[in-house]
Amino acid sequence: MLAPDALDRGYSEIMRSCIATGQAPHFTELAASLGIPVPEARALVHELVSLTPGWVHPGTDLLASFPPFNLQPTQYRVSVDGEQRWFAQCGFEALAIRWLFPGQQVRIEAPCLCCGESMVVEMNDTAITTIEPEAMVGYTSSEIGGDPATRPFR
Amino acid sequence: NLFRSEEHARSWYARPVAEWADFFKRVRP
Repeated sequence: MLAPDALDRGYSEIMRSCIATGQAPHFTELAASLGIPVPEARALVHELVSLTPGWVHPGTDLLASFPPFNLQPTQYRVSVDGEQRWFAQCGFEALAIRWLFPGQQVRIEAPCLCCGESMVVEMNDTAITTIEPEAMVGYTSSEIGGDPATRPFR
Repeated sequence: NLFRSEEHARSWYARPVAEWADFFKRVRP
């Protein structure tokens, strides 16, 4: 098990990269930026995704999802101040992305899974400024946060 | 997921998107 400080530093570096570029670092890049051995960085990636609601692509060491971001494209395209560089893990996490971009305008564009028609949510860290169409709803078939035994950060 | 309306969600399957947004504030080291 890795030290808490290593988990904090690893999480922070991956999140910094996701915010800046829309991409997560490979574990070899993580090793270089944290100044740790490559095998330790690889283990760090796996321990972080076991603790958080993220995941690696099955059978690989490659980060696929690091909430609120998805590194693999989803239907939830995210633009910040007009630049589309990010994808959200899900529709709900898309609504939380604004907290990572203080003072900036965040726009979520996604097709409705039922009809394929476009939906738009625009927001910043003080308000939701656009919901189009106004009748837009969120729906989940799974419990938010999971059950206590397997909850993140346990 | 997000849907254009309740009807669309039910056609896909216990809220308005603004309620779900009222979702995190992850950047601390």
